[in-house]
Amino acid sequence: MLRQPLCRALALSSPARAVPLASRSYSNPVPAEPEKVEVFINDKPVYVAPGTTVLQAAAQVGVEIPRFCYHERLAVAGNCRMCLVEVERSPKPVAACAMPVMKGMRVKTDSDLTRKAREGVMEFLLVNHPLDCPICDQGGECDLQDQSMAFGSDRSRFTDVHFSGKRAVEDKDIGPLIKTIMTRCIHCTRCIRFASEVAGVDDFGTTGRGTDMQVGTYVEKMLLSELSGNVIDLCPVGALTSKPYSFAARPWETRRIDSVDVLDPLGSNIVVTTRTNEVLRILPRTNEEINEEWLSDKSRFACDGLKRQRLVTPMMTDSRGNLMPVDWEDAIVAAARALRDCPPNKLLAVAGDMADAESLVALKDLVNRLGSENTCTEQYFPLDGAGIDLRSSYLCNTKIANVEDADFVLLIGTNVRFEAPLLNARIRKAYVHKDTDVALIGPKVDLTYDYMHVGDSASVVKISPRGPEGSALLAYTQELACKLQDKLQDKEWKVLNVLQRTASQVAALDLGYQPGVGKALQDGPKVVYLLGADSGVVSRDQLPKDAFVIYQGHHGDAGAAMADVVLPGAAYTEKRATFVNAEGRAQQTLVAVAPPGMAREDWKIIRALSEVIGERLPYDNLDEVRDRLSEISPALVAYGDVQENNYFAQARALAQSLQKPVSGKLDVQLKHLEDFFMTDTISRASPTMAKCIQAVLKQKDSPY
Amino acid sequence: MAGALARVIQGTKSHLGIVGPLANINNVPKRFQNTEAPPAKSQYGPLSDCDRIFTNLYGRHDWRLSGALKRGDWYKTKEILNMGSDWIIGELKTSGLRGRGGAGFPTGMKWSFMNKPSDGRPKYLVVNADEGEPGTCKDREIMRHDPHKLVEGCLIAGRAIGARAAYIYIRGEFYNEASNLQVAIAEAYQAGLLGKNACSSGYDFDVFVHRGAGAYICGEETALIESIEGKQGKPRLKPPFPADIGLFGCPTTVNNVETIACSPTIVRRGGSWFASFGRTRNSGTKLFNISGHVNTPCTVEEEMSIPLKYLIERHAGGVIGGWENLLAIIPGGSSTPLMPKHVCETAIMDFDGLVACQSSLGTAAIIVMDKSTDIVKAIARLIMFYKHESCGQCTPCREGVSWMNKIMYRFVEGNASVKEIDMLWEISKQIEGHTICALGDGAAWPVQGLIRHFRPELERRMQAYACAYGPSRAERLY
Amino acid sequence: MAAKQAIQVGTKIVKPVLSTNHAEARLRVLSLYKAWYRQIPYIVKEFDIPKSENQCREKLKELFMTNKDVTDIRVIDLLVIKGQMELQESVNMWKQKGHIMAYFKPTEEPKPKGFLSKFFNSNE
Repeated sequence: MLRQPLCRALALSSPARAVPLASRSYSNPVPAEPEKVEVFINDKPVYVAPGTTVLQAAAQVGVEIPRFCYHERLAVAGNCRMCLVEVERSPKPVAACAMPVMKGMRVKTDSDLTRKAREGVMEFLLVNHPLDCPICDQGGECDLQDQSMAFGSDRSRFTDVHFSGKRAVEDKDIGPLIKTIMTRCIHCTRCIRFASEVAGVDDFGTTGRGTDMQVGTYVEKMLLSELSGNVIDLCPVGALTSKPYSFAARPWETRRIDSVDVLDPLGSNIVVTTRTNEVLRILPRTNEEINEEWLSDKSRFACDGLKRQRLVTPMMTDSRGNLMPVDWEDAIVAAARALRDCPPNKLLAVAGDMADAESLVALKDLVNRLGSENTCTEQYFPLDGAGIDLRSSYLCNTKIANVEDADFVLLIGTNVRFEAPLLNARIRKAYVHKDTDVALIGPKVDLTYDYMHVGDSASVVKISPRGPEGSALLAYTQELACKLQDKLQDKEWKVLNVLQRTASQVAALDLGYQPGVGKALQDGPKVVYLLGADSGVVSRDQLPKDAFVIYQGHHGDAGAAMADVVLPGAAYTEKRATFVNAEGRAQQTLVAVAPPGMAREDWKIIRALSEVIGERLPYDNLDEVRDRLSEISPALVAYGDVQENNYFAQARALAQSLQKPVSGKLDVQLKHLEDFFMTDTISRASPTMAKCIQAVLKQKDSPY
Repeated sequence: MAGALARVIQGTKSHLGIVGPLANINNVPKRFQNTEAPPAKSQYGPLSDCDRIFTNLYGRHDWRLSGALKRGDWYKTKEILNMGSDWIIGELKTSGLRGRGGAGFPTGMKWSFMNKPSDGRPKYLVVNADEGEPGTCKDREIMRHDPHKLVEGCLIAGRAIGARAAYIYIRGEFYNEASNLQVAIAEAYQAGLLGKNACSSGYDFDVFVHRGAGAYICGEETALIESIEGKQGKPRLKPPFPADIGLFGCPTTVNNVETIACSPTIVRRGGSWFASFGRTRNSGTKLFNISGHVNTPCTVEEEMSIPLKYLIERHAGGVIGGWENLLAIIPGGSSTPLMPKHVCETAIMDFDGLVACQSSLGTAAIIVMDKSTDIVKAIARLIMFYKHESCGQCTPCREGVSWMNKIMYRFVEGNASVKEIDMLWEISKQIEGHTICALGDGAAWPVQGLIRHFRPELERRMQAYACAYGPSRAERLY
Repeated sequence: MAAKQAIQVGTKIVKPVLSTNHAEARLRVLSLYKAWYRQIPYIVKEFDIPKSENQCREKLKELFMTNKDVTDIRVIDLLVIKGQMELQESVNMWKQKGHIMAYFKPTEEPKPKGFLSKFFNSNE
């Protein structure tokens, strides 16, 4: 997409806020399509845009050219030489990954010259590659294995192995997530390019030259990135493998279930790999709209927290105040009695970080039937003005993928890098490839790219939805966004984006939950129903002494510790459930493993409870629950789609009266990498995440 | 001394104009003064002193500005600059100058690639003074004894391609050369020959010296650019060529020191003058470095297309022990295939002549090896050099060259199978042409030359080893 | 209706399994009953079941009496044949303790129906 030149045309009063503004043409007019070039791949004609590489052109006609170093999301290195192909009238074979097509080019991907070149390169790659496939974790999903079968020679001439052996390289310690066996490295430099281009940490590089060249961190240090796990997927051989997953399973033994991540608000698409009812590892699943093919380290490695600290049986406090295991009947009856006997205005339901839409709607329906309106989420969001009445006020309206097209990004009171790592990767991509300018209002943090730091004082800013004077700040943000929008050529472009911090928040707001528990908590509730609410917003000392706490969730954390009745629920890998991500995109998880012990799917627990109370909820199976969801909002069950949001002007008008002076400072919770790893019940239960924090703290102490 | 000798014995070049049966009719250079075209030549060399470009090659005179001015450097440079870039490039094209760094790309054409309409980016000239090829020692002679030729060449070449500045990337080991060059540049700045309004021609031009850190691969043009940019010296992929995206992402021309240093003389004396030397498409004079088993190793400027044997006998005092004692010659620096004696008899020292001998002119660094040489060990040592200097970026060079090195050292002992000779040949072919830069080719060619011409020697060693120690382990394995 | 007629027609012309009349069928039933009855002490002893002989006799009677209303001779014959097979399995110790004890299981538990019973009784 061609971009119009930046015209910095915003006139704000304070010179400190010289915010550059992009005038952009987003979808219209479409730039003139450049003349297509005809090339021939194995005599098959194909028309491609000029500048396309031979490899991409071949892919368009379904000819897959082998490669190691080439990766479509990274810069072209062209150093593995595996993609050599014969081009007519070229004396030498050319590297298809780097060669742009030329008019009338005739490429032969299956000629003798091509095959000989591939075989030669394959042989060279294997000269110094150890023959340890039987103990290599990459075995079965190794590009080198596959391609040596497909393109390599059928016999070996490595006589020198018996004279001087193969090269051996010392392994590096780059943290608790990535295991390195550097002898296996084929120097494709994908990891280096990923680290410097996408992750934004320049710690990886090569040292030495020739045969002595080594990939690694120059001095031994941890790879301090929240996206480091992706180098495991990128590594075409077994040089970089997953440390927690090492020697755990072979890919052909496992079952792979497509699912959605809930540890950050983006809802990255994942594949859950299981064997014998156990989650072994989590891999990213390509979704261009959300996570491309990356995954943050927390989403990838926190899965071992799914096996620890789990609530496997219903529990009740006994006479001495200790939680004791009980049957479902007893627990449900106790909970039902408490709920039934509670005066409606003294009932409070709080939904946590990872509550799915089904359980949210069931809980809200139940509480409403009991005559209460007190359903809240843990995360605060201003309610005044348009508040949560207009969907555009609490969503990432631009959508995640379109961030790449932005000319200017203003971040207010957020540390995007740790709150939504993949969104940050998108912003970095825009910063690197499109020269997008970024400015930040809030505490100074490392975002992996340069930005203009405007300050962290709310009074300078007047805008932020999370500060103490949230309403006013949101109002100012809306005002600013609308002002900016008025100046854009492209009226379709959404300026205002609100990044929620948890996976449940958007669905909860869609369903009519109140953000934040502040007011309801002050009323002194008699019965508190915690639906996975563990972030410590509700604690025992805030509640009246005789308050009855029901906790429903999957991990024994803050919530369960203060509960009188514990109802064990299912984690996101154990249920088919709907989550709505920060841009308002509904997605569903699928059942990868069964809930442990006596744990049940969450909405069913609430449904059962309702029947015991005598306020039977009118749905018996998942389809009926989803019918109920679609009654409330069809967007909640339109899986994969995002609704266009609107009514920015109306939201602005409603917010006009709230533009009061603000003071105080903006702050974010997650400032440093060590804060990132443990933010929810699953990651707090994960030993890998604990090791990460230890390693980061240790690294920070080291001189490098 | 050699130059003086040439004048005494042979007289001037014009006396040599004898029409021969092999004369190239098409190679009639344009002459502006003479109405009659000179007869086409069939004999080349020796070069007369008046036709030498590098008149202080041996450092007998002052290398500083005053000495350079006496030798005619910086003479009417302003007028040359004011003739404009098209004229300069035209003269270079007429001269038929081919790059002196090894690949032999026509310089005039290379400069004309830079004549595209500007897109706002500055253009740069980069001078490759990273002379690291074993056997080659021509650029250092220029830089320490005639640095002003290079500095003036930078200005003229820079004017021709419209460059803003020139970067001279000089090999780190060349400490004295770098210092002389720096002095020369400082003198030129002080004399107003460089900098703003260089030579009062209205043209701004700067020259920077960048010292390398001693990697052979930084002599490759794109690796050199990377190195100047402060990165690891690793060759870039081509395309895009430096003429499109080069130093700091701007259009760049990379030329060898000798190419740049001879360009002022070419434009001053006319392209046709230069073209009158040597055979067609191989015109000009050239610095030859003769080293190895010769009586008087030397660097000498000679006419192109001079016969190899004549060159050695005339300037290097002949092979030690006489021509009959010759074993082989590497004609163009370590990366070119060697030629055995019978090929050397008739070899012509120019681009096409050596290609006909299945070798290459390269940098014209002639390494002479007499019969006392362990030729296998000599080539093995060269491969070790390439193994050590491979940047490790692309697979065939990184893995292949070290593999060849291992095999070569076994061949030195003879601890190998005869079948492995063919394997080594194949490996060298698998490297050649499959790499990003030409280092892989340069490592493969010496091996190919060895196998091509000395296969019986390799087999003899293996047999000797088998007699002494029993059959090699490789025999069983392969 | 037509189907019913067809069945009636079918039953009329069908071949007997073993017995030709009710008396013969009754004799077979009684002899099977006696055989089981005599086997009970051995069953109790050999399978070491936690039941007394009297309990077993009661159970034997109960099981026979569940089919007391069967009138179709062919069905009676088949039930007798099945009973003989079971007896043979018990005598030869082809059965195991659990198989014998299965006779004492009152009935198959009904599959939970309704949301709540499913929730409490199954792992769903």
